[in-house]
Amino acid sequence: MKNKKVKEFLLFGLFVFPAVAFVLFSTGIPFIMNLYYSVFQWNGVGKSMKFVGMDNFVKIFTNDRLFWRGVRFTLKFAVFYVIIVNIVSLAVALVMSKEKKTSSVGRAFYYVPYIISLTAISLIWKFILGPGFEALYEITGWGFFNWSWVGTSKLAFYVVVIMAVWQNLGFYMVNYIAGIIAVPTELLEAAKIDGANGIQTFTRITIPMIMPAISICMFTSLTFAFKLFDIIMVFTKGGPANSTVTVAYNIYQEAFSNNQYGLATAKSLVFVLFVLAVTAIQMKITKSKEIEA
Amino acid sequence: MMKKFRRVNWLSVIIFLCSIFWLLPLILIFINSFKPYNDMIQQFLSLPKSWKLDMYVETWMKFEFPMLISNTLLYTVTTVLAIALMAPMAAYKLSRTKSRFSGICFILIIMPMMVPFQSYMISLTRVVASLNLSGTKLGQILVSTGLCMPLAVYMIHGFVKNVPYELEECARIDGASNVRIYFNIVLPLLKPILTTVVVLDTLSCWNDIITNQLIVGGSAKARNIQNALYMQFSAQTSDWEHALPGIVMSMIPALIFFICMQKHIVGGMTAGAVKG
Repeated sequence: MKNKKVKEFLLFGLFVFPAVAFVLFSTGIPFIMNLYYSVFQWNGVGKSMKFVGMDNFVKIFTNDRLFWRGVRFTLKFAVFYVIIVNIVSLAVALVMSKEKKTSSVGRAFYYVPYIISLTAISLIWKFILGPGFEALYEITGWGFFNWSWVGTSKLAFYVVVIMAVWQNLGFYMVNYIAGIIAVPTELLEAAKIDGANGIQTFTRITIPMIMPAISICMFTSLTFAFKLFDIIMVFTKGGPANSTVTVAYNIYQEAFSNNQYGLATAKSLVFVLFVLAVTAIQMKITKSKEIEA
Repeated sequence: MMKKFRRVNWLSVIIFLCSIFWLLPLILIFINSFKPYNDMIQQFLSLPKSWKLDMYVETWMKFEFPMLISNTLLYTVTTVLAIALMAPMAAYKLSRTKSRFSGICFILIIMPMMVPFQSYMISLTRVVASLNLSGTKLGQILVSTGLCMPLAVYMIHGFVKNVPYELEECARIDGASNVRIYFNIVLPLLKPILTTVVVLDTLSCWNDIITNQLIVGGSAKARNIQNALYMQFSAQTSDWEHALPGIVMSMIPALIFFICMQKHIVGGMTAGAVKG
């Protein structure tokens, strides 16, 4: 009897432990080390680690302007990104789901940016906004093309929003199309017979019926916005003059540019709690609005 | 009848034009990659005078593309194989074993989906450095396998529930061992979801820049194609004559893969949507 249990456990270990080991190596252990480092003052390379208790956290909340600037930027980005990407992708999805034949090609075009790498995306936009706009200014003479898009803080913000929307729109569009196609046609026909016009059908039937898709898209776009890091790291590097530093990028800067390792890990813990709290609230709100078909 | 036909066509035309507009940045990159720099500025929108591949060949040689491509392929293939081997095994056993320990293991594996990568990446570089793996190819492979694991296990775990348990029982009565049951009966049935996982992970490994930057950043020998392009061309003044062919060449494999695997990618995008 005992033998059988041991055998069972060995089998379980054979199947499951390799996966567990990999996950612990690349995420579990680093996360626990984060907890440990966050109460030290340390530069990340030297031997001297000074225990400072909660000082790192106190510092974040009282005396860290760049971090809070990052929070403001991230929130502002989240508002713009979530609204724009969801409205545009829903609109595209509505049109696409009406027209079956051409839309499969069209759909593919929309999600091509989603499958190319961030390096390519950032270099592409650097080229378009640099030499490209210069050339277009020569041709058209529109002042719009002559603005310093990457060089001024205000415009750099919009460039980041546009790049993020351009890259990810296809993902949300696919989710919305899946939702719209699943709306039963009887409901739409019944509404038509009852004399509802296009707008009424959309707000009273389509929207409530695709609420699951909306909640998934809102959820993913919000978490994407809070975690915004890749585009900043590869494209703006936080510039000009730290105006596009996000929370995640600030953590990275703190660790690798300022060599404030302990402070950076403390910040990343604050960041995790912040992201988890917001997503929990948001999940609750959207879940309560979903209805049964 | 005729009228209806025309109206439908117009909608298609509009959809098509909008889609082209969406891809305009890519199209402009492609046509400009064949031009010398002066022509890029002076004839930005027109087709190149000749479709000569000179700059492509030069970029290929100058930036050691054969090495970069073989590195990137090595990372992608080994990571995907490791995932395809381990993730379904773990997901299958976790789904079939109903014990508290199994539940804890499952939560341990999928937990990273909730926690943003940016919050533990700095300590990850410490872990890798303490094992003397930073700057090595092995380090990159181990890390990217670990990072791809949670979503893969999660997606397959959901799918295992649809695999009928009766089949396994029959095989057991016929005297097949557990390992044999898994490889001969369960694994073939997991093929649809496994394809999706493989396709998603292939793309994310090929396109990866952040982990490559963090793990092998300094060592030129272990860079993948995305990281090398980033290191070469992200400086303020860019050498566009080489950068554009480089970008195009780095995208071509991903685009071909995308065209072949379109269905799975779209399916995977909606299936993976729960990732936080």
